[in-house]
Amino acid sequence: MSSLRILVSFKVTPDFEALREKDWLAGAADGSVETRYVRRILNCFDESALEMALRWEDAAAERGETASLGALSVGGRETEPYLKTLLALGYERVARVEPEAALDFAPAVVASLIAGYVRQVDRSDLLLLGCRSGPGDSGTVPFLVAEALGWPCLTRVLEVEPLTDDRVRVACMVDDGLLRVTLRLPCVLAVGNAVVSQLRVPTLTDRLARKNGRIHVLSGAELGVDIAGELRREPCVLVELEAIDRARRGIVIGGATPREKARALFDSHLKSMLEKL
Amino acid sequence: MPLSREAIVEGLQRIVGPEAVVTDERVLIESSIDNFRKLQNIFDVHTMPVPAAIVMARSTAKVAEILRFADEHRVNVIPRTGATATEGGLESAVADSVIIDGSAMNQILSIDAYNMQATAQCGVPLQVLEDRVRELGLTTGHSPQSKPVAHMGGLVATRSIGQFSTLYGGIEDMVVGLEAVFPGGQVTRIKNVPRRAAGPDIRHVVIGNEGALCFITEVTVKLFPYFPENNAFLGWTLKDMKTGFEALRAVMVSGFKPSVARVYDPGDAGLHFSHFAAEDDCVLLFMAEGPAGIAKATADGIAAVVAGFPDCTPVESAYIETWFNDLCWGPDKITAEDERIRQTHNVNRTTEISADWSSINDIYQAAKARIIVEIPDITMMGGHSSHSYINGTNMYFNYFFNVVGCGPEEETTKYYLPIISIICEETLRRGGSIVHHHGMGKARAPWVKDEYGSSYYILETLKHAFDPNGIMNVGTIIPQ
Repeated sequence: MSSLRILVSFKVTPDFEALREKDWLAGAADGSVETRYVRRILNCFDESALEMALRWEDAAAERGETASLGALSVGGRETEPYLKTLLALGYERVARVEPEAALDFAPAVVASLIAGYVRQVDRSDLLLLGCRSGPGDSGTVPFLVAEALGWPCLTRVLEVEPLTDDRVRVACMVDDGLLRVTLRLPCVLAVGNAVVSQLRVPTLTDRLARKNGRIHVLSGAELGVDIAGELRREPCVLVELEAIDRARRGIVIGGATPREKARALFDSHLKSMLEKL
Repeated sequence: MPLSREAIVEGLQRIVGPEAVVTDERVLIESSIDNFRKLQNIFDVHTMPVPAAIVMARSTAKVAEILRFADEHRVNVIPRTGATATEGGLESAVADSVIIDGSAMNQILSIDAYNMQATAQCGVPLQVLEDRVRELGLTTGHSPQSKPVAHMGGLVATRSIGQFSTLYGGIEDMVVGLEAVFPGGQVTRIKNVPRRAAGPDIRHVVIGNEGALCFITEVTVKLFPYFPENNAFLGWTLKDMKTGFEALRAVMVSGFKPSVARVYDPGDAGLHFSHFAAEDDCVLLFMAEGPAGIAKATADGIAAVVAGFPDCTPVESAYIETWFNDLCWGPDKITAEDERIRQTHNVNRTTEISADWSSINDIYQAAKARIIVEIPDITMMGGHSSHSYINGTNMYFNYFFNVVGCGPEEETTKYYLPIISIICEETLRRGGSIVHHHGMGKARAPWVKDEYGSSYYILETLKHAFDPNGIMNVGTIIPQ
């Protein structure tokens, strides 16, 4: 396979784990949860996608081929440290689209921007992105992008590998197992709970070497998207927030010795589970 | 003639019963190291001698019997409780060592709200004690990042310090009395009194001994009133660490007692504060606590002092409060970090030192500059000061590197120890201490004579006096 253009679309999100429940509930009444005080992290599914693209590039290099990687984020300045990291890791094209307004609950607008970038700027062959992001995300962006581009879309993707010049082999989760399919490019792949979940880290030397790499900043208008107008037509409106009860029942297993405790655990819980297998 | 592994196990089983002696090979292998060689557990590549057994101690009397047995037969013992050590103090440096595990001695013996002190067995997790005393509106004042997983015995043995140390002090300022067992089985109790001038303060023979002199079975610590509703948070961004150290110093020498006083360099700040700090920003932050009047006066006073540094730009306190609320490391974060290392081979290490105000910035700058140049594959080199005193502060070097071109078992020799070596050299050159609060362990033991200078005589004499047969945690504090 010759040089394939891969684009990964990613999102930088507040670290919701660092947000206390009372912070959530404080904004529940009017749907205005304050997240700006929380540190930012890469959306975990997007992080998988970013590393999968790098591994594709590694594998291509081993075969004497090339892959050209690009990264896009619809987000403000908070995305730039991540874009610089991606430059240092070898992503050739990095860009962000200034959102101009809060797009947390506007998947159609986000999808329009990503599709606009793919079509008008990047001309990618393969788009990777996380199947969903943090709370506030509907999980529909990959489908909406694919629809806008007229490309096929697979979701809950676990692995992707090149097959021929215009085909890739994809493994993805389905409700009752693992599906392996061959897909013709171009296509959209929404990455799920992949084994590859951590993005590699560039050295200070890598960063120095790419410190002059350019981050392309675009507006919605440059991509032909009227963000304010689209927002008015956005069908998703946040109505209310409610805390999920995550409390789990716990049992202290008794016994004088570890052996007795292990036996009690097996008899009372594990044995019946094993019998169902 | 040394006992065989089998004879050691049999001897221990006679003392505590077979159920309290762990000989499972997998458990023993994983217990041959601590977090200093954590990559060996993450990648399951082990190089240290496998201990003969782990013996679960359930009473002071049993600890005494175990130590008597070990001393008689010259068996090296490694005391541990929460097993969260980071400097190799829990490594089995010699073959057929025995780990004495005090985690089952986990009873809170008393909470005396009138005399404001609590007594706990060595295996009580600090989080458990803290949660209990908070129900009474009290706090231990001790909050190391390892609070959810560290136990009281280990915290005292390693001379631990917590995030609120600038107000409450280190563990040595909190321990009022304790019980410890020495080689040969000698049980000693140091009574709980507010202060005494009856000769040397013998608590300090035990506090920070790292299992190289005795096994701590029980500790009594001070309690303080807890006023979380009065907590006040302050933060600033600034462009250089020198200014940050100067601002910290100004606050300290002005007589204010914040509970948290920190300055982060840009690299370290980028890990926590990139949502409000620019890439080249340092972050200076404080927390004031206590009764309402004191907390407010402290916060106001700090703000006035820092206002004298025009390069410091204030940030909303909610940024600092939100950061503060997510500071401790529990098992979930440790597991996630292990998985990150497993996939990326990118390792995070820390080394903490202390020095006076005149030297700290020079040490920070010199060590950082050398590490970036001399050590390969560095991905982040930074740090912060997090514990300040009237005469100086600490520097907590925080650094990441990719392990490249070697196995996980070589990570310490290729990367970690050379970095520690640079930090120790630059610190000693300027009169600082090479260990602020992690303990010497075995990792920094090679520098012990340089650290102590002529006072090494006292340390060496203590070791010979209390552990004449050299059975206590061989290689820790004093190298083999």
